[in-house]
Amino acid sequence: MRYSLVVISLFAFTLWSCNNGNRCYDSVDTFMVTSFSINGFKTINSLVIKGLNRNDIGDTLVNNALSTMTKTYNLPLSLTADSTGFVLKTNGTTDTLFIRHTMNLVFVSRYCGFAPDYTLKGSRHTSGIDSVKIFHPKVNPLSIQLAPNGQNISIYFSPARH
Amino acid sequence: MVKILVSILVLLVISSFPALSQTKSEGWRYEGPRVGLDLSRFLLNSMQSGKTTGWEIQADIPYKGNLFPTFETGMQTMNDKHDLFHYKNSGNYARVGIDMNLGKFESLKDQDFVFIGARLGYSLFNQQTESIYNSNYWGSITTSLPRRAMNANWAELVFGMKGEIFPNFFFGWSLRAKILLAVTKDNHIKPYVIPGIGNTSGGTPFDFSVGIYYRFPIFKSKKIPKPIKMGGEKHPGLNNGTDTNDQNGSGRGQSGRSGQNYNRGN
Repeated sequence: MRYSLVVISLFAFTLWSCNNGNRCYDSVDTFMVTSFSINGFKTINSLVIKGLNRNDIGDTLVNNALSTMTKTYNLPLSLTADSTGFVLKTNGTTDTLFIRHTMNLVFVSRYCGFAPDYTLKGSRHTSGIDSVKIFHPKVNPLSIQLAPNGQNISIYFSPARH
Repeated sequence: MVKILVSILVLLVISSFPALSQTKSEGWRYEGPRVGLDLSRFLLNSMQSGKTTGWEIQADIPYKGNLFPTFETGMQTMNDKHDLFHYKNSGNYARVGIDMNLGKFESLKDQDFVFIGARLGYSLFNQQTESIYNSNYWGSITTSLPRRAMNANWAELVFGMKGEIFPNFFFGWSLRAKILLAVTKDNHIKPYVIPGIGNTSGGTPFDFSVGIYYRFPIFKSKKIPKPIKMGGEKHPGLNNGTDTNDQNGSGRGQSGRSGQNYNRGN
């Protein structure tokens, strides 16, 4: 009886001592999954995306020259402002897009820390963009799982200007 | 880690010496409230590099010999500093519950028992997070979450043992499975360590408690508590009418619910 109690207690103590280690296995990077297309079934031959007022080398978020009907990219949103601006150069035409949002930092795990969790509130854009449709306003580290078949937001360019 | 395992082994070996539990007066069985300190709170502190500090007092009192209503209370402070955030919480907690002896006491002097039990716990604590850092393409942010009062309640299933190592001094351990029932909702951070529960970031939190206790020998009795009858049929060969409390021929074991008619001690 005593031996079994010793064994059981050691086993129990081992269980108690176990932990998951001190590594981060979760993502704390949050991206807005965004699809781009031109109304009227035109192809996008080239797409370059930068952050507004970000003109340094290495500030280009997207530089794609493959012709497709729809392109989908993961875009970062501002951590400190309540709107984020992007400059989009599509088939040679430049547009500006503003996304309004709120942001909370939400705990992910002990070894990963906190990740931004956004709620999309609306948008403003120049006339080369026909419309913007928000499908999933909640943007968090899991949002990238929406791609490739889903998206947080869709940008539809005007066929007359592209 | 090795030191802790060795300490546990030493304590278990010490607890296995029945000779140490002999008392001078052989004719009485002493019982009374038992109060002790949970040593595992200090072990936990050393294991987690000083991230948690705290203490816990545990008490029980025998009821009808084999049942032990328990009360446990303590406090815990956690200071968990990482590169990306600094989390702190602090609070008090209490548990009430009952333990049940699974075996039988062999003699008047036998006070060792293996038990299962249950607890209901309540924790009142506060938490705050400082130096939260995140960065992306647009830059970085450093912010903090203010101190906030929280509470939680939970249930525990307990398995363990207690043994008398010196007259009126007991050593015991218990393994606990904890089921979190409710915790104050926070939109930013769900507490991953709760005073009284421990780490809640995994599934069911398991905990291991090791304590030393002093029993106040207030009551004395001539009767050995009869074991609690479990369900199921008796084996025909065992049902020969022998009273297990009379096995040493002392005649002290008696039929009926024993251990209830206590006299005032000394």
